[in-house]
Amino acid sequence: MARNGLADRLYQGEANINIIGRRKTWFIVAAVLVLISIGSFVFKSFELGIEFAGGTSFSVPAKTSAGQELTQDEVSSAVDRAIKTVDPAAEIGAVQQVRSTGGGDAYFTVRAPDLTAAQAEKAKATLVADLGVKAEDVSDDRVSAAWGGQVTRQAVIGLLVFLVLVMAYLVVRFEWRMAVAALSSLLLDLVLTAGVYSLVGFEVTPSTVIGFLTILGYSLYDVVVVFDKVQENTRGITASSVRTYSEATNLAVNQTLMRSLNTGLVALLPVGGLLFIGAGLLGAGTLKDLGLVLFVGMGFGVISSIMFAAPVLSALKDQEPKIKAHTARVLARRSAVRSGDVAPRAERQRQPNSTESDEAPALAATAPRPGARPTAKRNTNRSGRPGGAGPRPSGGTKRR
Amino acid sequence: MHPGRQLGVLGLVFVVLYLLVFFGGGASGSFADRLHPKLGLDLVGGTMATYVASVQGGQVPTKDSMEQARSIIENRVNALGVSEAEVVIQGDRNIVVSLAGKSDDQLKDLASAAQMRFRLLIGVTGDVAQSALNPATATPSASTSAAPSTSTSAKPSSSASAPAVNASPSTGGQGGGEVVKAPSPSTTPSASATPSATATPAADSTAAVPGQEEVTPAEVQKKVGAAAWAAAQKLTAPVDLSTDAKAGLAYSAFGKLSGAEVNALTPDMQFNIPTISCTQLDDRPNGAIDNVDTKVAACYNGAKIMLDKAPVVGDDISKASAQLDSQNGQWVVSLDFKSEGQTKWANLTRQAFQATSADPCYVAAQTLYSSIEHCAVAVVLDKNVISAPQIQGVLTSTSQITGSFTAVTAKQLADQLNFGAIPVTFTAGPAQTVSATLGIQQLKAGLLAAAIGMALVAVYAFFYYRLLGSVIFLSLILSGLLTFGALVFLGRTVGFTLTLAGIAGFIVSLGVAADSFVIYFERLKDEIHEGRSPRSAVPRAWARARRTIISANTITIMAAVVLYIVSIGAVQGFAFALGLSTVLDLLVVFLFRHPIMTMFANTKAFLSPRVSGLGRVLRRAQTEAKEA
Repeated sequence: MARNGLADRLYQGEANINIIGRRKTWFIVAAVLVLISIGSFVFKSFELGIEFAGGTSFSVPAKTSAGQELTQDEVSSAVDRAIKTVDPAAEIGAVQQVRSTGGGDAYFTVRAPDLTAAQAEKAKATLVADLGVKAEDVSDDRVSAAWGGQVTRQAVIGLLVFLVLVMAYLVVRFEWRMAVAALSSLLLDLVLTAGVYSLVGFEVTPSTVIGFLTILGYSLYDVVVVFDKVQENTRGITASSVRTYSEATNLAVNQTLMRSLNTGLVALLPVGGLLFIGAGLLGAGTLKDLGLVLFVGMGFGVISSIMFAAPVLSALKDQEPKIKAHTARVLARRSAVRSGDVAPRAERQRQPNSTESDEAPALAATAPRPGARPTAKRNTNRSGRPGGAGPRPSGGTKRR
Repeated sequence: MHPGRQLGVLGLVFVVLYLLVFFGGGASGSFADRLHPKLGLDLVGGTMATYVASVQGGQVPTKDSMEQARSIIENRVNALGVSEAEVVIQGDRNIVVSLAGKSDDQLKDLASAAQMRFRLLIGVTGDVAQSALNPATATPSASTSAAPSTSTSAKPSSSASAPAVNASPSTGGQGGGEVVKAPSPSTTPSASATPSATATPAADSTAAVPGQEEVTPAEVQKKVGAAAWAAAQKLTAPVDLSTDAKAGLAYSAFGKLSGAEVNALTPDMQFNIPTISCTQLDDRPNGAIDNVDTKVAACYNGAKIMLDKAPVVGDDISKASAQLDSQNGQWVVSLDFKSEGQTKWANLTRQAFQATSADPCYVAAQTLYSSIEHCAVAVVLDKNVISAPQIQGVLTSTSQITGSFTAVTAKQLADQLNFGAIPVTFTAGPAQTVSATLGIQQLKAGLLAAAIGMALVAVYAFFYYRLLGSVIFLSLILSGLLTFGALVFLGRTVGFTLTLAGIAGFIVSLGVAADSFVIYFERLKDEIHEGRSPRSAVPRAWARARRTIISANTITIMAAVVLYIVSIGAVQGFAFALGLSTVLDLLVVFLFRHPIMTMFANTKAFLSPRVSGLGRVLRRAQTEAKEA
């Protein structure tokens, strides 16, 4: 049997990384991050864009007093400069040219963050000097949020309805423990992504919210794939005493690890493209906002489906009496093997991975070879053996 | 199913979609024109209109009512289609609405008031038969009307304060000496002479009446002459012209009144005077029949009708929705009332349901519908009687308005009901065109980002999956084409507009679509790893991967549907796009990737490591088999 590098083992789905065994570590990390995020929500809040908070709208004539036509870009950059003189951190919003259908002079409207009357006056003066337009033609007006509170409220209601429905679906499709684990992982993603936004102070725009909602589906997608494998690996697990539920879950996570990384990469590539173009070439705007939130959120989604959802599941499962008894039985049997009462299994020949957790010896010593056929799977009868009975040399030799 | 057949189905989907793109849903213009998706405000600009709010007394409207009006207008805008329109409050009293593309017509009615009233039908008479009278002059026309139109103030008048109130002898009223005696005992004027704030008519562009200032009954009396006025006042029931064709002659002067002048008459006079036509009644100013405390005259199905006070109004409704009645396949509007409104509604329906054949409402309902056994309640929206259904029971829970609704009209009514009433009146300014906020440069950048993203995915796919990467690549192109076709078609039919955020969303969703392939392929690797031949591994891997893909996509579709139904505005647009791309992803997975893989598995090339990227797995499986 070839001794392969990590990349190769990843490819084969047998990286054999002990993820479930270190679940306490992940929980602590997650808890700390969540606390930091919530602390940031409370103390630092969010940087809301003009679309949410409203702001000041400037009207600028399209012609200078010298009769020269201004372009949208010229106006936009001039307003940007003018606003920056009063508030260096301010970003301007949408710039539009407005023309009456019945003819008349065209003008530009530019959205800027909320300014005080004095600031607006100063910005206006700068603007007039900069563009060479008539002072009386430039006006400023307060504009409300384009994204009303009602939109947010309805979106939140929608989110809650969705969570209830998806919970019900997952309970039917899997079981309630998996549903709880999946939803807690989803919530973790959302909280952490929002936390990054709050902490770093990225501006929240409608595009950000849209991107945020996209994470919903993506994050659950990842978790469902992992849980699907867990469910397959653990079907009828109590009938055998080869491995504990946690070990089977760990196996599933390892088997889907490459897939998780692959899909994460495949999904992040176009997002990276967006981010590169949006932030790199254009500086700011829709593309950057969307790219950023997706990049952060999907990143968390990939990590949490591996490091959080599965560990939560195994922690919940270990509380179940049936699984608890089964784990005890497996461990008892294993120590008996070690003391020589029972013939060792093929798995023994594999080198244990050193781990520190309580379960480590158990997990490592007989950790079934990842990639091996799960013992308790349907259709095992093809080889004439009763399915789920376990003692099959599944490690070193391949049935053929 | 045979792989070829699945590909055939996909081909059919393609052909149908693009036939729709080129010929369906009101396609017009050259073939190139028909291929344009409807782009959003940020990319191509659009039309902008400013609505100026006015409150009685010329005060500044409150922030709350402006915000409320903003959200109502936003709702109306969104009801036009899945477009991401923008509605903002500017300054103290302006609401600015921007829509993508050329849409002046759509912007016109956005700020008009919608007042819902439920009134018992208590009288019916025929519309004036114009020809029976004096054909030359009976038709009222604005030009011949002597309406005092010196003042052209656009300020909405409080014409909704029904003259019946002002004319009451006890309150004096503006009529001075011309005290109008209520012709019928049932119309004792109500003491509340203050016009309700919500009854203010909208002086918006829809108002077709020239010179919308208040006309006093005294002016009308002067116009029609004392004799006709006195005769009209004595009427206690509509004059039946069919029995006495000449009976109308005494009132012929009333036939020349303008809508505003007709409005100055008491509702009973409007109803009883045979020469006042439906055309005149329809010409009354907006808000003419809004007053909940008086009876009103209106028209329905070509008949003049008399309606009782309105005990139930639009504000009593908590939710209205359009539904398809499963029993008779008709569209109905289902109503849920607020708790207080429910009581009022139950009382009204009890009154209608328990009426005996002697009740005026029973007689009226029988005149309108010959086969009716209970009274009818008219549903009045602004100036129009939408429907006057027979009440078939005391309604104590959700109720339905039936009528000859189509899916569209039922939805429209439900929307209007939901919008409720705007607490302030708006005047629409002229429509203006606005340029794109982002423009072509950003659009190009977005497309460039798409190209880069797709190229990265393709490179990765080829690197990792070798030739199988081409399956990913092809299916991405396929998804892209399907999405594009769907966007063009939906842009025309449901008004789905594509913003830059939308484009970015679709780019991302294509990346996520590649995901389902990865699931499939990793599954395939597992199966081969376990020692299956590639040929037998494909169907097994498919069976398992299918389950996973369906579960995962079900969740996404669920998110899309819930958000689409519940949310509004930009979020709704997003949900639509999400649902669309997920459904298309499923389509491509089932009708393209799977059959292609099945066909691929039957070729020799599939077994070659260099081609399929399965090499290492295969080699290993073989080595292990030898070792064993």
